[in-house]
Amino acid sequence: MAAFAAVLRKDLRVEIRSGQSTIALFALSLLIMVVLVFALSPQPADRARDGAAALWVALVFAGMLGATRSMIAENENGCIRALTLSPIDPAALYGAKLTAAFAFMAIVEVAAVVLITLFFNLDFGADLVRLAPSLMLGTLGFAALATLLAAISSRTRAGDLLLPILAIPLFIPAIIAGVKSSEAALSGFPLAAASQWLGILVAFDVLFVTVGALLFEHVIRED
Amino acid sequence: MKNKATAMLGWSTLIMMLVALFMVFEWVPTEEDQGIVQRIFYFHVPCAWVAFAAFGVVAISGVFYLWLKEQLFDDLGYAAAEIGMVFCTLVLITGSLWAKPIWGVWWTWDSRLTTTFILWLLYGGYLMLRSIADDTPEVARFSAVIGIVAALDVPVVVLSVRLWRTIHPAVLITRAGEHGLEDPRMVVTLLVSLAAFTALFGWMLMLRLSQLRTRSRLMIIRRDVALIEAAAGDY
Repeated sequence: MAAFAAVLRKDLRVEIRSGQSTIALFALSLLIMVVLVFALSPQPADRARDGAAALWVALVFAGMLGATRSMIAENENGCIRALTLSPIDPAALYGAKLTAAFAFMAIVEVAAVVLITLFFNLDFGADLVRLAPSLMLGTLGFAALATLLAAISSRTRAGDLLLPILAIPLFIPAIIAGVKSSEAALSGFPLAAASQWLGILVAFDVLFVTVGALLFEHVIRED
Repeated sequence: MKNKATAMLGWSTLIMMLVALFMVFEWVPTEEDQGIVQRIFYFHVPCAWVAFAAFGVVAISGVFYLWLKEQLFDDLGYAAAEIGMVFCTLVLITGSLWAKPIWGVWWTWDSRLTTTFILWLLYGGYLMLRSIADDTPEVARFSAVIGIVAALDVPVVVLSVRLWRTIHPAVLITRAGEHGLEDPRMVVTLLVSLAAFTALFGWMLMLRLSQLRTRSRLMIIRRDVALIEAAAGDY
């Protein structure tokens, strides 16, 4: 538990001091949404669907870069070897990295939600609050997957390309469920209407956080 | 390193395939609604079965590799992934060839097609990792993890895609003719074809596995030679 907190504090502190990854993530999300505005030419009637789509596209692609960045930094200064050699439980290490990734993505997403409200003419109101469960669950699942996969991709050639190739197919169930539940929220439906989708997201999260914690030691160990 | 068991499996596969081909093209009656095109079904379904079974082999090999650390399991997983990819591609192609005359389109996002396509993407990711990271010493461990994670993802994929398609049903009514096997000869033909394709999968797996095992042994030998030369060079 102490180790978890220590690693988490380290990651957060490094990020807060440099700040570059979060700002870059935010910039990337913004630009992805700009592309989608021109790609979709949103009409008011479709705004819930387009807003949900833009949000999740931004989440997936910006999140991918964020995950890669944090693992590359660890590899560059040999920190990952130090962490593996230390008596820290790999699951605790995984949990800390996952929490840090989640925190960064969550911050960027708050900004992204403000942006889609502006870009797609949504209302600042209860609809946005109802977005929270699907966004939080989706972000958690994505962070869980990305932390595990980035540990692999950061140690291979062309890791930046490999991560999306590995992550996106695996993440598809969460994308389907996330977009559908976000769309329901933005259309004004109560949370109960999206309960099946949220259930899928919960199952996804439980599965991949558990699997990630169990398998993380196998991907950070060096031969 | 072909051995007797593999050779026997090869001959059995040949015989079963010939029987299956005869049954599919000569013996089994033509289905009423769909006509001749329906016969693709007897290749399409076994390919799908092999594609999913191979995926299971990849995942289980991964578990055994992480647990026992035997190179054999890594080679087995890699071989199964390559062959599974071939059969998964065949599922998609034979499916499209069937779909065009029956449904009028080459592709549609119905739940089964979508799930198979995602399986194809998962295979692709595994093989990309293998080819990109081939010279990384930890590639076997990474591949095992990816194989396991992907296999665990498949049930969630099936669930979410199915829900996605019930809420927004596909444009076309699907499931036409897949389980409407009225004539018992159709069932028999399907089972024979399934057996033939399973034998084919097993035979291809054995061949590829022996190749990969030889390759792994060669890599170990090369590494040892390099170490010896480096040590000798110190004198």
